[in-house]
Amino acid sequence: MKKWVWHILKNFIRMLLLIFFVSIGAFVLVSLSPVDPLQANIGQAALGALSQEQIDKLEIYWGVNEPPLQRYLAWAGDFLRGDMGISLLYRQSVSSVIMQKLSSSLLLMAFAWIISGGIGFVLGILSGMNRGKRIDRIIKGYALLTASTPAFWLAIIFLLVFSVGLRLFPVGLSVPIGMDAASVSLSDKLWHAVLPAATLSITGISNIILHTREKMIDVMESDYVLFAVARGEKRWEILKNHGLRNVLLPAITLQFASIGEIFGGSILVEQVFSYPGMGQAAVTAGLGGDIPLLLGITIISASIVFLGNFIADVLYGVVDPRMRKGARL
Amino acid sequence: MKRVFVLLAVCLAFASLAGCGKPEEVLSGSDNNQEPLKDTVIVAMGVTSEPEAGFDPAYGWGAGEHVHEPLIQSTLTVTTNDLQIAYDLAKDISVSDDGLLWTVKIREDVFFTDGEKLTAQDVAFTYNTVKEESSVNDFTMLDRAEALDDDTVQFHMAEPYSIWPYTMAIVGIVPEHAYGPDYGQKPIGSGRYMLKQWDKGQQIILEANPNYYGEEIRMKKVTIVFMEEAAAFAAVKAGQVDLAYTAASYSEQAVDGYELLSYETVDNRGFNLPAIPSDGAIGNDVTSDMAIRRAISMGIDRQQMIDYVLNGHGTPAYSVCDKMPWFNNSAVVEHDFDGAVILLEEAGWIAGEDGIRTKEGLRAEMNLLYPANDSVRQALAAEAANQMEELGIDVTIEGVGWDVAYDRAQREPLLWGWGAHTPMEFYNIYHTMPETGLASYSPYKNETVDSYMDQALTSKDLEESYELWKKAQWDGETGTDWDVPWIWLVNIDHLYWAKSDLQVTPQKIHPHGHGWSIVNNVDQWRFE
Repeated sequence: MKKWVWHILKNFIRMLLLIFFVSIGAFVLVSLSPVDPLQANIGQAALGALSQEQIDKLEIYWGVNEPPLQRYLAWAGDFLRGDMGISLLYRQSVSSVIMQKLSSSLLLMAFAWIISGGIGFVLGILSGMNRGKRIDRIIKGYALLTASTPAFWLAIIFLLVFSVGLRLFPVGLSVPIGMDAASVSLSDKLWHAVLPAATLSITGISNIILHTREKMIDVMESDYVLFAVARGEKRWEILKNHGLRNVLLPAITLQFASIGEIFGGSILVEQVFSYPGMGQAAVTAGLGGDIPLLLGITIISASIVFLGNFIADVLYGVVDPRMRKGARL
Repeated sequence: MKRVFVLLAVCLAFASLAGCGKPEEVLSGSDNNQEPLKDTVIVAMGVTSEPEAGFDPAYGWGAGEHVHEPLIQSTLTVTTNDLQIAYDLAKDISVSDDGLLWTVKIREDVFFTDGEKLTAQDVAFTYNTVKEESSVNDFTMLDRAEALDDDTVQFHMAEPYSIWPYTMAIVGIVPEHAYGPDYGQKPIGSGRYMLKQWDKGQQIILEANPNYYGEEIRMKKVTIVFMEEAAAFAAVKAGQVDLAYTAASYSEQAVDGYELLSYETVDNRGFNLPAIPSDGAIGNDVTSDMAIRRAISMGIDRQQMIDYVLNGHGTPAYSVCDKMPWFNNSAVVEHDFDGAVILLEEAGWIAGEDGIRTKEGLRAEMNLLYPANDSVRQALAAEAANQMEELGIDVTIEGVGWDVAYDRAQREPLLWGWGAHTPMEFYNIYHTMPETGLASYSPYKNETVDSYMDQALTSKDLEESYELWKKAQWDGETGTDWDVPWIWLVNIDHLYWAKSDLQVTPQKIHPHGHGWSIVNNVDQWRFE
């Protein structure tokens, strides 16, 4: 039991370290970025209508001439006190901007994550159990094809076919155009999430299929399955008694590790479907030189990805107690 | 062929599934024939048009790069379709002889949507707040605003500023009693519309203010959705919006039920020509020759540029302020290729064997910069380079980022975009700065031009100031038209897809950038 606590604690410390380095990395990148926040946010044409005095005032607001180290320390100090700062663009606290954006992104990502995980797992098993047969070739072919399909491109195709061509789905947004917020139902929201989520899961699924398939093939070739076959167990029984637990491990790891990919993919997909979310906010913050917001988003995303991996790690132990020993290493 | 059928079958399967899910949305595009006249409209704008900081005039709502009427709030003045000044809240405006004190009488019958009366105190509060907090509005010329009584407000200026009425046209008046850090999220105003809902990152829903003091509002509900260019076009093709911004690259397409609307703008593109000889850091030996600058302006075929680059959707630009009340017609130059050649030859620029001209050993060559992420400016730069080549000037083009563009424009031409509803832009481009004695975006100086502009700002009367701005361009002897430190190429038309039955009220000349300008008069739009 103690080991268990120590394991979690160690992971937690690791996460803090990771966040520290991620924040420094992100900050160095923004500091090196050539984006001039004044030009980006005020616009070159508007700049032409401002007096030098006003431009000086704005440079102070955007921290243009402040030394990077000083800016970082000020930000980090506030962050440690639990204050993520004020977004320069949105003029609201970074935490409230992120909360707004995350709430709509999460629905989309959860939707995509569950679909890709569930379907990918089933297809991977099917494929692995029927190695070499037609169904295996089809599934494998599909996985290889989607593995090399950019989500962005697929999103545009979906938009053109299903929204523009067939007019089955909305062209964008997460709620119906012009509808009163009070009358927007969950089904409306899900309806609007279908295409973006489908895009994300279709491209995210291939990893899970291919890895599950490999593992399933290993299992099918193992001695204990050979023994089970000799005992006359049916295919379903073999799967239930020997396959699932073994195959579940890599699937879980991948599924939780894929949170990072879904996160990344959602940025592009959100752009295509005008879907509001972290992706959009990250792009706006990056292009606008809104350092507090960008750092906030980076850290929240890093934490979510880390959390995904961590959960996978913990679940390992739950699914297969033998793995707990491994945690000590 | 077989594959097409398979796809079709899949689609049909999806269609039947979808049918039980949400039929009304599928149909919404086609069945509004029987309905009475529609009084709601859906407009698609670019994602950058969403006011991230909210609807607070202090943080740039209504102002900035894309000046527009704030809709939710009233303003003291408004600009008319030809950019003259008219009254909104103001009843009377007067200015002291030294130009330092503006007195504005306001209407007494105006209420905020929360029922409170709008008084001069609110006006003074707004201006003082905006001056303190301002992001994109320049209020450095204002010292303070003061309410004398309920319907009189006075502006104490730090320096004379004759074009103050243009500033008054973009500052939405906020209620002092309901203003706070959160105001931008839940604005209360006295304008034509109330903010009903804001789904951040997606859409804004505006509803007509039932107690509006002005003309009757025809369009009762306005929904504005924010989409990337391609998504906005997809929304048009899917019939889900009534009006959407678009770019010249889509203008060749035809969409059933939609028409392409095109509006004149002062959204110009042009390049600067450093007008002083090079000292290593700034200036340029070739472009500092006035004959070169004039020959380029004369020799460039602007209409050809519009046809080749903008698919015909533009007008030739001759200044930074074409068609504005302060624009001087003398800027218009006829395209005259032969004249340009004669001018160059008379000035001693003689063509060598390679067709490139030289003068006293100096080759007529330059590097034309353009912002690397702007395809239209890149195409304009390439076309300008081709045309200048024919004149015997060797031009290379180079895409750059804005981080270096400002500095490099001090010695090399750069393709800019400007266009504002205030003469301040003209001032900032051509007036010298006290620290350097040169203009800020491209080295240039002309003391006569400076003095006309200074006089224009101190002038008591707007009409009189227009004349002074015009004299800065050409007074019969000198001016910016004469010196040609900038070559203006085109004003880019703003294009929109609109439902065929939507009647969009005539627009004032749009400023730089596709944005909220289009909905300045959305209250008067209607469907037929």
